[in-house]
Amino acid sequence: MSFLEGFVQGIVLLGSVLGVVAYLTWFERKFSGRLQSRIGPYWVGRPHGWLQPIADGLKLLAKEDLTPLKGDGLLFNLAPVWVVVISFLGFAFLPFTSNWVLVNIDLGLLYFSAFGSLIVVGVFVAGWSSNNKYALISALRTAAQMVAYEIPLVLSLLVPAVLVGSLDFKDIVEAQREGWFVFFPFVGQVSILVFLLSALAEGNRIPFDLPEAESELVAGFSVEYSGMKFAYFYLGEYVHLLAVSLLTSILFLGGPDGPLFQGGIWVAIKTLAVFVGILWIRWSFLRLRIDQMMLLNWKFLTPLGLLNLLIAGLWASLNYT
Amino acid sequence: MRNNRISSVTLLKATILSLWLTMKNLFRRPVTVQYPATRRPIPERWRGGTFALTTDKETGEENCIGCKLCERICPSNVITVEMEKHSGRGWAKSFILDLQACIQCELCVQVCPTDAIVMVYGMETPVTRREDLILNKEKLMANEKLYPAAWARGLKLQQLHEPERGTEEKRGVVGK
Amino acid sequence: MEERVVEREFGELALNMGPQHPSTHGVFRLQLHLRGETIVKVVPHIGYLHRGVEKLSETLDYDMLPPVYERDDYLSPTSNSLAFVLAVERLAEIEVPRRASYLRIVVAELQRIASHLVWLGTFGLDLGGALGGGATLFLYCFRERERILDLMESLTGTRFHTNMNQIGGVRYDVYPEFDKEVIETLNYIENRVREYREALDANPVFLERTKGIGIVPPWLAREVGASGPVLRGSGIQYDLRKNKPYLSYPEFEFEVPVGKEGDVYDRYSVRVEEMVESARIVRQAIEGLPEGPIHSRKPLKSATLLKPPKKDVYVAVESPRGELGMYVVSDGSSKPYRVKVRSPSFSNIALIPHILPGHLVADAVAILGSLDPVFGDVDR
Repeated sequence: MSFLEGFVQGIVLLGSVLGVVAYLTWFERKFSGRLQSRIGPYWVGRPHGWLQPIADGLKLLAKEDLTPLKGDGLLFNLAPVWVVVISFLGFAFLPFTSNWVLVNIDLGLLYFSAFGSLIVVGVFVAGWSSNNKYALISALRTAAQMVAYEIPLVLSLLVPAVLVGSLDFKDIVEAQREGWFVFFPFVGQVSILVFLLSALAEGNRIPFDLPEAESELVAGFSVEYSGMKFAYFYLGEYVHLLAVSLLTSILFLGGPDGPLFQGGIWVAIKTLAVFVGILWIRWSFLRLRIDQMMLLNWKFLTPLGLLNLLIAGLWASLNYT
Repeated sequence: MRNNRISSVTLLKATILSLWLTMKNLFRRPVTVQYPATRRPIPERWRGGTFALTTDKETGEENCIGCKLCERICPSNVITVEMEKHSGRGWAKSFILDLQACIQCELCVQVCPTDAIVMVYGMETPVTRREDLILNKEKLMANEKLYPAAWARGLKLQQLHEPERGTEEKRGVVGK
Repeated sequence: MEERVVEREFGELALNMGPQHPSTHGVFRLQLHLRGETIVKVVPHIGYLHRGVEKLSETLDYDMLPPVYERDDYLSPTSNSLAFVLAVERLAEIEVPRRASYLRIVVAELQRIASHLVWLGTFGLDLGGALGGGATLFLYCFRERERILDLMESLTGTRFHTNMNQIGGVRYDVYPEFDKEVIETLNYIENRVREYREALDANPVFLERTKGIGIVPPWLAREVGASGPVLRGSGIQYDLRKNKPYLSYPEFEFEVPVGKEGDVYDRYSVRVEEMVESARIVRQAIEGLPEGPIHSRKPLKSATLLKPPKKDVYVAVESPRGELGMYVVSDGSSKPYRVKVRSPSFSNIALIPHILPGHLVADAVAILGSLDPVFGDVDR
């Protein structure tokens, strides 16, 4: 792949992810609206609010951009950029169809999880540099939460890798032609559960949205942000969510494999299904407290993930020798 | 942190219950009314709009006799009336009602002995200038033509509150 | 007034929660001293919503005051005017017709349900959207409450500040279909409340966040003068509707739900059960609504006609938040010499410095929500 080819592909990927994310926010608002007996976006692009994401983007662009005088200006301005860039970088390694991926390397899974865990830096810096007590508490919560939940996340990501014997997404997708990992007895279900729970925690979604706990910390780390910088955090969150949905569909739900036909359209359908599930959970649950959340991680998810990985390893070593 | 033993069965049950509850609501009709496009019906006794000074249907004379009862009873002191006397009865020389501080309690309507001041049905009464909220007599008289008068009238309410009122009158009978 | 220096120990973080904060339920400032995320000391600051209604009432006539007092506790307006009206009626020795008394009960109990629905919804918000990211339960509860407000609107003309209670009776009589509409609304709300209660009670996360949190021991509740669901949540069966009956409450059958532990969960369950009991009262009142006049005084014609004798009375009613008392002193003129409001929210939030220390910030929000303060009522 030449440089130019890669550049163009990268731009196309970036643009399409941005567009998809914009309409995912629209979809969430519409979905949550119906869930709550409301209508959701309506007026901008009547009758379904089709133009709402664009209007929102324009509004955020036009808003005043504030930097706290007593905060750390440089870090304050860098943090949202960091979050967005890192969120997007994860997409470079994800295969969208069985034969198209932007950066094709053997260690796709490892890279993906490595980049995913770098987001915490941006969020922490945002909270720290705001020079705001709410933001500070939120930053500390974020650091504790994201670092802690990284462990079960990686443990559950490793299960498909162990079952296949490769960290390459393509191999994992290939291997699922015989049977999706979600149907793999015990191991598959446990690891998808652990993965989704920790991914929700990583993406600061309810029931784990402690860093942004509105009723306690106002808006958490993003309390001082306005305008486009705030939009970057928002964007980062949704890009991360999209990545999680996509990853679930690739790792556990067979990726492009499906009845009738094969290819990217199945990836899209599965991703959307997972995304709807995440939304549904978000609008149906309440927030945990920080100590309960840590208990859930250290006493439940991490041991379960370890046990699961052990079983998967035993199975793999019995089968591959 | 007491008894933090959550069995997975109850967790599963709670999860399903919560998801089921929100799911049921997903298929219920939204209750939102898109205001300017669709309007909810205004009940008969609705109050909360602006005011009007009425005129006699037959003679076309204004009903207000300038007795200042409404000025006296207004809890937020928004009414100022000046009285003048000629041709055998009292008249309101000026009548100023300041809607900025009005709390829509309708006490002025209740005490009016001649049904002169009434509230009117009218949802779209906001204005862009503060001065427009201070209603003088001309504006109040004009409101009578602009909006339909509301349910409550002074005499009607006073008759309703009459202690010796008979029970067979045309009013809602509940429970029998 | 000079700003006091915040005294705090080394390693503590002084966090100002409020007056502009999403979950202080109004303009209320909590000065939290945190060690980590644990609260070690709390200093509450009130007075951001002081409107001087007590002083104002010295310049207004008795008949002008009920609509003014409705602005006090802005979640259950009629219970304020009810307390004032009862006090003046006792001062001037005015009897209220039974029909008026029943209608007052109907409106007061419907507003109790509405107020508790608002509480349930905002409590869900405080817990981070019980049953829903941010706002699901909140919006459900407001949707249900809307039915009651619509009912109020067709009965009295306004959705909220009804101006229903007047000295000597009520302002509006029912209209023909009112009974059917009320029963229908009550059925609807009871079903929905049961639904939410089932979902919440089965939810271990909700139980974790509420059980054993913010325990108010009975002695403490007595000591600070807490009342209403907060007192009953601590296991003390004290409801003015039963203990010091007013209006026609002795004629109705209803239970007074009490809690056991005095924690957030008990206060929640007391309030939810109270909604059911209120619905019971409204049903009985609608079925047994007596015939007769709705006013015992001559129709209101002038504000200065009512001149109670030189006397002072204290009358308390059970508002959705607790004992709402009015102490009215008359000097024989048409204006009260002094009115003192004993507001339930004020006494209830006096618990805050006693029960918050030792909890986490997240619990502080849940506890404050469970006390259900209304700051229009606190500051008056």
